Amino acid sequence: MSFDFSKAMEWAYKDMLTFFPENVSTFGGELDSLFAMVYYASVAIFFITYSILIAFIIMYRHQEGRKAYYYHGNNLAEFTWTLLPTFLFAGIGLVSDDAWTKSKYSQRVPNPDVTIDVMGFQSGFGWQFRYPGPDGVFGNKVRNQISSANPFGIDSNDVHGKDDLVIISPGGARPVEAHLPINKNVLVNLSSNDVLHSFFLPNFRVKQDAVPGQWIKVWFNGTKAGRYEIACAELCGSGHYNMRGLLIMDSHQDYDVWLDQQYKLQKPVLSAPVSDSSAVAAVASDTTTTKN
Amino acid sequence: MQSATAHAHETLGHDSHGDHAHHHDVSFIRKYVFSTDHKVIAKQFMLASLFFLFVGGLFALLIRWQLAFPGEAIPLIGNILPDTWVSDGAVTANFYTQLLTLHGTVMIFYVIIPLAVGMFGNFCIPLMIGTDDMALPRLNMYSFWLVPPAGLIMLTGFFFDSGAAAAGWTGYPPLGPSSGAGQTTWLISLFLIGFSSIMGATNYMATILNKRAKGLEMFQMPLTIWALFITAILIVLGTPVLAAAISMQLADQYLHTSFFMPDNLLIGAPDNSLLTGSFVQKGNELLEHKQLLGGGGQPILWQHLFWFYSHPAVYIMILPGMGIVSDVLATFARKPLYGYKAMIFAIMAIGFLGFIVWGHHMFQSGMNPLLGTTFMLSTIVIAVPSAIKIFNWLGTIWRGNIRFTSANMNALAFIATFIIGGLSGVFMASAPVDIYIHDTYFIVAHIHYVLFGGALFAIFSGIYYWFPKMYGKMLNESLGRKHFYWSFIFFNLTFYPMHLLGVGGHMRRIYNPYIYEFLQQYQPLNQFITVAAIILGFSQFILIFNILWSLKYGKKAPRNPWQANSLEWAAPAHPGHGNFDTDIQVYRGPYEFSHPDRETDFYPQWEKPKDEPQGDEKAVPETKEHSQSA
Repeated sequence: MSFDFSKAMEWAYKDMLTFFPENVSTFGGELDSLFAMVYYASVAIFFITYSILIAFIIMYRHQEGRKAYYYHGNNLAEFTWTLLPTFLFAGIGLVSDDAWTKSKYSQRVPNPDVTIDVMGFQSGFGWQFRYPGPDGVFGNKVRNQISSANPFGIDSNDVHGKDDLVIISPGGARPVEAHLPINKNVLVNLSSNDVLHSFFLPNFRVKQDAVPGQWIKVWFNGTKAGRYEIACAELCGSGHYNMRGLLIMDSHQDYDVWLDQQYKLQKPVLSAPVSDSSAVAAVASDTTTTKN
Repeated sequence: MQSATAHAHETLGHDSHGDHAHHHDVSFIRKYVFSTDHKVIAKQFMLASLFFLFVGGLFALLIRWQLAFPGEAIPLIGNILPDTWVSDGAVTANFYTQLLTLHGTVMIFYVIIPLAVGMFGNFCIPLMIGTDDMALPRLNMYSFWLVPPAGLIMLTGFFFDSGAAAAGWTGYPPLGPSSGAGQTTWLISLFLIGFSSIMGATNYMATILNKRAKGLEMFQMPLTIWALFITAILIVLGTPVLAAAISMQLADQYLHTSFFMPDNLLIGAPDNSLLTGSFVQKGNELLEHKQLLGGGGQPILWQHLFWFYSHPAVYIMILPGMGIVSDVLATFARKPLYGYKAMIFAIMAIGFLGFIVWGHHMFQSGMNPLLGTTFMLSTIVIAVPSAIKIFNWLGTIWRGNIRFTSANMNALAFIATFIIGGLSGVFMASAPVDIYIHDTYFIVAHIHYVLFGGALFAIFSGIYYWFPKMYGKMLNESLGRKHFYWSFIFFNLTFYPMHLLGVGGHMRRIYNPYIYEFLQQYQPLNQFITVAAIILGFSQFILIFNILWSLKYGKKAPRNPWQANSLEWAAPAHPGHGNFDTDIQVYRGPYEFSHPDRETDFYPQWEKPKDEPQGDEKAVPETKEHSQSA
């Protein structure tokens, strides 16, 4: 146990905006500048109201023999300080709406270059990724085929599903590593099979709850190659803190190389027990009743 | 029985114990335990909630210790706690999740709501409207006596093998219904405390509408009463929805309904051991349970129902505080409250808008984003009445003659922290800005600025202000100031840096943040926060010591120690059952401070105007004009 006070103070003196992790997505900058706009407006209001508050506390502190001003208020003042904040706040709302619809409205999701499925899971706590495989087409999802061995519920009768690539945690303390290309519109279909999770990519300014029974579209476009962390932001059990994953943003060539590698390593999801050491695969060998 | 005029000049220093008050011969149990006297019930609420304040505070410090020094033994108590809670003296992940769940639940449902609504509602309403007791005293007694069993039921969860509730204070399904017996105790406990709230609130409304003293019009009531009145309406409209949602979650847990549970879930049996990762061994049970849960329910439905109550609940917690602060500020600035009616309309606006903003808790929940736009706009609108209140409070101290009593310092601290809490709320009101800060420490900072900095400082203010009337003794001012300074400074040192962590991306409710590379750099800041939080926690013992010391050695309180105007100060210094020893007739509003025609700087509501002939009720409309010129 050690407590470094000076290091703590270094942080405490820094401006709030410097705390953001590096932004590497196309719309992230817009979200950050909206934050900055609200921040500067707040700082201004903070200094104005605090100066008034402190000035009044000093100027009108108790003095013997002085009598306070008998005054009940003024309607003009009330109107002013009702309308001013209304315009200010309504302005923030109107300015915000475009960034909101751009990042969340399904109608405004751009044509995806890459589409993947992502699922949070609680049995060992982590994320699963599904790529469409060499044929570029996902197999159909069927809810009643969901099982621990086939978490995405890929339809065993659909030929497109046979080559789907599923990336899972390698087990132990090692986080799952998913790769995606930079400068491409990535569409993530997000869901869960157990409890709520929240798919949080701090560097991409992406956050979306994963809701069982529902596929939610999330998109982003990464601008810089590198290794970024995936976090869970919704309490999902006592292992919630342990849902760390890694998102590797590759150049287009590196991404293709990685995909090819994975295809070669790939064992078909829908064939019988996988001899992988991961928690999920272990469950697969236990649950023999999976309809196949 | 004394007459109203004879009463006017003995406002100070007269401790007649209410000859007119009813002197029944009541047993000890009926007098102090199962009492129907609103003042005793208020004190019971205060004691119970202060007990829970320390329980919830202890939980917070255990959480803070883990965040600052993960895996290291808790000092002093780490090695005496049972193995189900700690390993090698450090909190386990499972216990940590239970702690954060119960910290939130205890602080909201067993500390802030019972203090702000239960304690002040019971104590202030009959006294400030000049009546002998609540309209329904027995219901009032029941409303308190549901609180201790409800709280203890929830805490029993800690002694189960599977532990206490661990799905967060929001209890989101599917995690909630799929966890163990601790969650059941949590649900039952909230159901009971909801009943307690509804009983109390019904009573407040009935009392305020029916039992006001002669001459007291609605628009002559102090802001505390107005705030409690609107709060009571919010409780009666909101709490049944929570009760319904709780019943549905209980049904999902035990009756295999599927209100909130979609089909084909891969969740194990309701056993917390699953949540710690022993999933593999449970293969067969798992499949069986999966079938039981099959249903086509919608997890987000819970969130809608829960926040339909719990967002107004935020205002249930803060509105009484706003009322208290308004009264305390006016009294100690010796000035009429600025914009009395505007303040009341702002409370009404907050109460109304509070019911149409719940979706801002759900921007990232998977709810249709079109609703996000709607809720963003309604949320932004609710900032306006809050701003109106801030400006009116500033207007109240403007050109006043401010006395810095402990009560007033806490009220000023309320304004200071509420400004920050209100401004940080604007960030998350903007849906796109919320994407990044949602479920991070920015939210934690915001809620603590509003509920600790806001509601709790107002509650402290109210305790310092009304303690003399509660116990007939003055609280020690110098201890009061010490408590204020320590609390205010270390409150800010604890919670302001949490904004910074939030902007750094630090998620809420994580047992060990340093698993993540991007959070490792924040450990020193977390340690700083923890040190400040420990000092903040221990500062609260000053308040407890002050209360105990003053009860024994405190100066005897005069009838109207603060020279205030509202009706509670017309009652004897330590009023008995029945409250008033005179007939109360109200002549004016509660904020007639520093009236230019008077020598003293206050003009109590019950004081008969000098130039009016005795008993002439026509005096009322004329004086009323002053109080209503807002």
